[in-house]
Amino acid sequence: MPESAAVSSTQETMQRSSRTTARRGLPASHSSRPAASEEEIRKKDVITPEDAMSLNGVTSDYLCAHDANVYDIDFIRFQIRDMDSGVVLFEVAKPPGYDPHLHQAGGDPADPDAGRFVRYHFSPSFLKLRSVGATVEFTVGDKPLTHFRMIERHFFRDRELKCFDFEFGFCIPNSRNSVEHIYEFPELPADLVKEMINSPCETRSDSFYFVDNALIMHNKADYSYDEPDGTTEGSA
Amino acid sequence: MGLMKILKKLKQSEKEIRILLLGLDNAGKTTIMSKFCGKDTSIIAPTLGFNIETLEFQGFKLTFWDVGGQKSLRSFWRNYFENTDALVWVVDSADRLRMDDCKRELHALLLEERMAGATLIIFANKQDLSSAASASEIAEILDLKSIKTHNWLIIPCSAMSGENLLKGMEWLTNDVASRIFTLEQV
Repeated sequence: MPESAAVSSTQETMQRSSRTTARRGLPASHSSRPAASEEEIRKKDVITPEDAMSLNGVTSDYLCAHDANVYDIDFIRFQIRDMDSGVVLFEVAKPPGYDPHLHQAGGDPADPDAGRFVRYHFSPSFLKLRSVGATVEFTVGDKPLTHFRMIERHFFRDRELKCFDFEFGFCIPNSRNSVEHIYEFPELPADLVKEMINSPCETRSDSFYFVDNALIMHNKADYSYDEPDGTTEGSA
Repeated sequence: MGLMKILKKLKQSEKEIRILLLGLDNAGKTTIMSKFCGKDTSIIAPTLGFNIETLEFQGFKLTFWDVGGQKSLRSFWRNYFENTDALVWVVDSADRLRMDDCKRELHALLLEERMAGATLIIFANKQDLSSAASASEIAEILDLKSIKTHNWLIIPCSAMSGENLLKGMEWLTNDVASRIFTLEQV
């Protein structure tokens, strides 16, 4: 498993967040929102949660540089389990003793965005799951985090499927933390499910991470649901 | 309308309950939470930060915050007090040597303004161990009778077997619900 897969797979995780989660069915239409231009947002010095919420689709590019993560937040494990059977469907983890600094030194310096994107391959049955638990584990550097917040938005083409907004609040310096969201899958119309299965990689998500209302990380993922049954994998 | 009232109304409409799990290190906080959520509890490492679980339970949206109990981490507990509806205090019933520490930390928490009104449940954990003190013994040592500021309950349990975890969580949810969610929704 490439290490970068573990990094980005966390995006998938946090999506299963809380507060504004649509429990069943699709979120309400956002047509009343003023359409924000990605280019305009990109020009701002500080990108806020409101900016992330004002977008009408996935972004064409990252809204912040990879080095905006000055807090050394590092995602180290991600897991999805089926709550009905208890079976772990998907898990990626960095090896014990993994040191992000050492790794970066030996990694591919040509692509600073490596690890910010992950491509998931699921089988169609994944879309039939009722209740899942999604866990992410992350470590924090020497500085405490205040008002750590994640917003994750999932789209199929230009249709929003899910939006998750979770406030972690404070994170202890040099801590290792985990979050599991146990939630019901949104009920998707059968024709939409069919289209998603027939359109690999057109289901996409943006994960935005904020500290004190300023964007510090932006990860992306896309999803395919056309693998043979029993197959579940993610790769960067 | 005051801020507290607005917050209360928000909570009411979303039926969210925020639960903070605290206690000395090695009390079994993470194991209790993991067992309750149907996770594998065979390997639980000391918590060096927090573990969060969000789930639906009896029509409520519970968020558990399990924060590490090591001495070096206890000074950070206060960062998690805000908006706490219920405090789960976990006791290692077999750790008789540290009962005084346990009592002191608990009573200090109850003085916190931001914990005012929070429902309190004390899990007398590790009842599967033969050396475990009984719940009534622990109630005595921790001087629970002196607590007048919080609705509280002590319940013997075993995070390993799962004994009484569900019963405790049901009591907690009902107690919080009766305080917060009984007003007619606007």
